[in-house]
Amino acid sequence: MKGCYKNLLVIIVLFFAYSPITHAQGIDGEVLPSKSKFKDPKTKIWFNTYGNIRISKRLFWDAQTHFRFEETENTPFIGQVAQIYNRHAIGYIHSKKTNFSLGGVVRINFNTDESSTDRNVVPEWRIWHQYQFAQPLYSAMIYHRIRIEHRWTQGFEENSSYIFRNRWRYMFRAKVPLNNHKLESKTLYISPEAELIMQSGKQVVGSVMEDLRLTGTVGYILTPRLTVAGGVIYSQGQTFDNPGIFKQNWTMRFHVYFSPDFRKVKNKLPAIHLND
Amino acid sequence: MTQLKHLNSKTARISNELTIILKGVTQIKNIRFVGIITIILFLCLLATSVKAQENQRYQGQLNVSGYIGVADYTYLLANGDTILNGPFRLRKANLDALLQEEDYSFDFSGSFKNNFPTGTWKFQFGTFQSNNESQVVDYQYRVAISGIQEKATGNMLNGKPDGTWLYSVHKIEDSEITKTLFKSDITFNNGVPQRNFKIENDSLTLAGRFLRNGLAHDEWSLFETTGLGAAENWFFNDGVLQSIQNDVNGNIITNIVYKNIPRQTKTINLDTRYIKAITAWQSLENIANPVVTSKMQNLLAENATYYKKIDGILSELGESAFLPEFKVKVPLFPLTAMEQQKLDSIQSQFNATKEISSSFLENTQLNILKLSDAEAAYLYGVVAKINQDFLNPIGQFLAYKNENILEFLPKEKLIKNLWVKGKPKTQINVQVVIDSVTSNQNFELNEAADFDFSSNTIHTVQQLIEYASLSLAEVKTSLGKKLVNEQRQQELVKLEEGLITKDKVLQQFIDSANTVGTNKQQKALLQLKKIADTKLSYYSSIENIKLKLDAAQKLSACYEQFFDLAQSIVALPKEWVRIQETYQDRIWNPFMATLMDEDVKKRITGAYRKVLIPSYLDSIDTELTCKEASELNHLMKSTHQRMLELREENTSKLERKLRKKTDPKVVLKLFGLATEKEQK
Repeated sequence: MKGCYKNLLVIIVLFFAYSPITHAQGIDGEVLPSKSKFKDPKTKIWFNTYGNIRISKRLFWDAQTHFRFEETENTPFIGQVAQIYNRHAIGYIHSKKTNFSLGGVVRINFNTDESSTDRNVVPEWRIWHQYQFAQPLYSAMIYHRIRIEHRWTQGFEENSSYIFRNRWRYMFRAKVPLNNHKLESKTLYISPEAELIMQSGKQVVGSVMEDLRLTGTVGYILTPRLTVAGGVIYSQGQTFDNPGIFKQNWTMRFHVYFSPDFRKVKNKLPAIHLND
Repeated sequence: MTQLKHLNSKTARISNELTIILKGVTQIKNIRFVGIITIILFLCLLATSVKAQENQRYQGQLNVSGYIGVADYTYLLANGDTILNGPFRLRKANLDALLQEEDYSFDFSGSFKNNFPTGTWKFQFGTFQSNNESQVVDYQYRVAISGIQEKATGNMLNGKPDGTWLYSVHKIEDSEITKTLFKSDITFNNGVPQRNFKIENDSLTLAGRFLRNGLAHDEWSLFETTGLGAAENWFFNDGVLQSIQNDVNGNIITNIVYKNIPRQTKTINLDTRYIKAITAWQSLENIANPVVTSKMQNLLAENATYYKKIDGILSELGESAFLPEFKVKVPLFPLTAMEQQKLDSIQSQFNATKEISSSFLENTQLNILKLSDAEAAYLYGVVAKINQDFLNPIGQFLAYKNENILEFLPKEKLIKNLWVKGKPKTQINVQVVIDSVTSNQNFELNEAADFDFSSNTIHTVQQLIEYASLSLAEVKTSLGKKLVNEQRQQELVKLEEGLITKDKVLQQFIDSANTVGTNKQQKALLQLKKIADTKLSYYSSIENIKLKLDAAQKLSACYEQFFDLAQSIVALPKEWVRIQETYQDRIWNPFMATLMDEDVKKRITGAYRKVLIPSYLDSIDTELTCKEASELNHLMKSTHQRMLELREENTSKLERKLRKKTDPKVVLKLFGLATEKEQK
């Protein structure tokens, strides 16, 4: 009974969300299946760099570059480059446990569909802001991250126009030191993560849950300024075209976290007294 | 009601006004009388002020020879000096102290004339306790006291006692005299004792008389309170003591003192020195004992002490000589200037020689050595003989000199008497007993022929002391060598004991510390232990005592250096922790949102840990000398210190230069730690 109502609601939403843009093919072409369908999971490999470059007592430059590979039929495991992802922001350190960022993303999307005759490369633009809160918990740390993105995307087809969506992301993460009583140099840690990415926008009809990512990561803090980590994400989410169909991914991720501080020594000190 | 108040105040005002008017009228009438009175008053004031310039009065606290009390006296000021003139009084009595425990009170009164005590004087001293019972008699509270009261009264003339002086000490119980502890009654004429005197204490009474010039004359008798008749009689003739008569158990014994004396005499005070002089004289005359009992002398001394007390007070205040100058005459045998000089030389030689002889005789080492070593026993015997035959009699002779009575004694007789059995010979015969075997040995200086002890003059005494001195010097030379060797042996034993302890301490320390630190550190410690062992076994192979002593001393210091070095090595891990802690910055990691310690200046800490410390540890090899151990220890300590300093310094240049530097010498130089030797 409950399921009936849900389906009815989806149909109504889909009906009212009619859009003249051809891109909204989810509404035009797709028919909601009677049961949620799960696509076969794809495998991806991401190589991510996270830079956090201190520029003043309170400000830092958040510089992230990700190389995301996606399997294709010809390249089954490692795949081919799917996205090159550049995320930048200016961050503000409110306190040791709280910081905020505001910036932009330019993502280069590569067409991984080998049969496609469309454009190979299209850019994607975002404005993003993020609010991160950390809490110590015993020897571990837990983090809450709210990230809001305003995203302009377009398809690979010629002359396809941008669609605008908002992404609402919440991530819960923990970092648990394994060989130490706290997170410090030469510490191995595990980091379970769960992130829910919701989306909204005129073009978003039904497919509000863009992605749910469940991650397990193992990291190692080489120095306070350099950490490496690697992990696996399982993610699933509604396809944009058809909310009844769920895509699935298994992604291997490799991260390098670096946080250089090129300020002069006298400006660095005292590094820990933020509120002085 | 308010109206009535108003009326009252009005009446009061009118009456006030009337009074003022009346006063004004009276003033006008009396104006002439007032004028006369004013002039008279002015003249009086003027007279007083003129007089005040002559004599001023002081009333207040005063301290005289420790007697602190309330003073009241008049004085003159002449050129800024205070000259006492007129009545004087100083007293103290504290009722609170008396009631609580004890009060020491005094009261001195008399007068001065131009700073000289003149006129009647009265002194009172008392130490009193009270029984805390008081009674009211007439208009006074009375408290009974117990204690000792001293009282002296008499007349002074120009600072000297004149007339009869009475000095008494009484025991007081409940405000009544219960016993006379001392009493003296002496008549003076301008400071010179005259006529009869009497001095008594609780057991003795002395009575005698003086001539007008103060010389003792006629019979002086000493009575004992318990006995009948005189216990001791001294017969003077014009100050010369002729004889002493003693009552010994009822038998009267007469001792002649100065009988046949030279014409030349000297007048001196009857005091300790005089008693010593007559004692010495009597011993020379071989007069049988008892000679002079100390009774009379004690009584006189007691009297002198009381007089001295008064003299102390009067002399501090003004100018006075308050002394019971009892004069006597003694025979005089004057010393020539040459003799005086010789005496001084004898004294200094004696002091030096006596010190040497005592040092040998009291030397425990020698006292033990003489039991087994024949030569030591012989030399000890010589010293003992010199001490007995030369030094002791000369010491006695010098005692007379130091008592200042030598000039009252005939020198020749005195010297003859000091060596009753005859003077020692230049050849000193010593009996040596070793293991119950007795042998005789003689000691004689080569210069013995130059000495002649036959006569009895001061020169002879000088010859004797010279011979003794030279002989002891010779003995000292031979005995000194013996003792030094012996001393070395003993010193060595002590040093070796210390050495073994130090070695043990070092070995134990290394053994207990050998589990800490890196392999290199452990190896260095073991190496150190081995070196210490080698050094000790080398030491034990030395046979010459002198060399051994030197080596032991050096090795002892060396062990301390090794121990210090071992401690420094053991401290290395701790020091490294300290350095690591020092070379850390707390930084904020944005990804973890935590603070982390970041190692900084890694090139410096790396150079310390990977270059310097290993090179230090490697330098501890079998060839390590004590000096090197000490230097290395010092270098390790200064390196640690330098590391702590470098953390604070701007080291960007140094860090750049340290890149790929593995030569410890270069690193030391860069650190500013190069030793002087290396800098050359």
